[in-house]
Amino acid sequence: MRGVADACFLIDWSRYRRKEILEKLFDLLLIHEETLLQLRSPPAIEYVSSLLASGLLRLYPWSPDDERQYSKLRDEVSLDPRIPSLERPDLLCLVIAHRTGSVLLSENLGVLRVTQFHPIYSRVKVWTSLEVLENSIYNGLISVSSVEEFLEILREYEEDARHIFNKRRVDAATRRLKEWLKR
Amino acid sequence: MVEEVEPPPELIQEWEREDREFREIRRSKADWEFIKAQPPHIRAALIYFIERGDIYRAAKIAGMTVGEFDEHRYRARIPNIT
Repeated sequence: MRGVADACFLIDWSRYRRKEILEKLFDLLLIHEETLLQLRSPPAIEYVSSLLASGLLRLYPWSPDDERQYSKLRDEVSLDPRIPSLERPDLLCLVIAHRTGSVLLSENLGVLRVTQFHPIYSRVKVWTSLEVLENSIYNGLISVSSVEEFLEILREYEEDARHIFNKRRVDAATRRLKEWLKR
Repeated sequence: MVEEVEPPPELIQEWEREDREFREIRRSKADWEFIKAQPPHIRAALIYFIERGDIYRAAKIAGMTVGEFDEHRYRARIPNIT
């Protein structure tokens, strides 16, 4: 599986005690140079350097076509006051995910909201760490045998990253997991 | 000229409800003593982040990259919420 990682995701994920599962879930992760420049905290720099060194994470070769697509998207959504600010690095990640058919790894509420309604970008699959953890279970990278164990995994992440998952999204993930556990 | 793409009204209502809920969570979890002890530009950025949950603008207020600002968010015990 191929993914594109944004800065907010990598910063949070780099603090997680089980962060190595990302390398087992994805074959390739793409990052834009401008996203890389946003990372300044020691855990995030150390983590991203190790991903680059292992070859899992690669810089995306940005093209003039990509730039045109970015400009169009920016004009469409970036002035909407109801969407938390969408800065250039976030939109670049969305464009890359769309153009390469990759899963976008993001913790950016603005990006999540754009993919809820935009006629083109609603086709992009966006995973926050919640969906990464959920899919790590489906792929046998984390073992759980009950919903309670899944919720404990989420609590670990929330504690490590000082992150809180939206209850409605947790409920939806829990419903999917319940179905999966029945198999 | 590119037209703006408009979200449907029901989605906007859901976002408004979500924004209120997330703001309350950030306010209640934050370490206000830590925040009050910060230099003015960092304090202002942390308070902006609590109110809006917008890390890019908060980082700009603080004059930092997102990564640098996030270290302050973490120490101030303000959760990211998605």
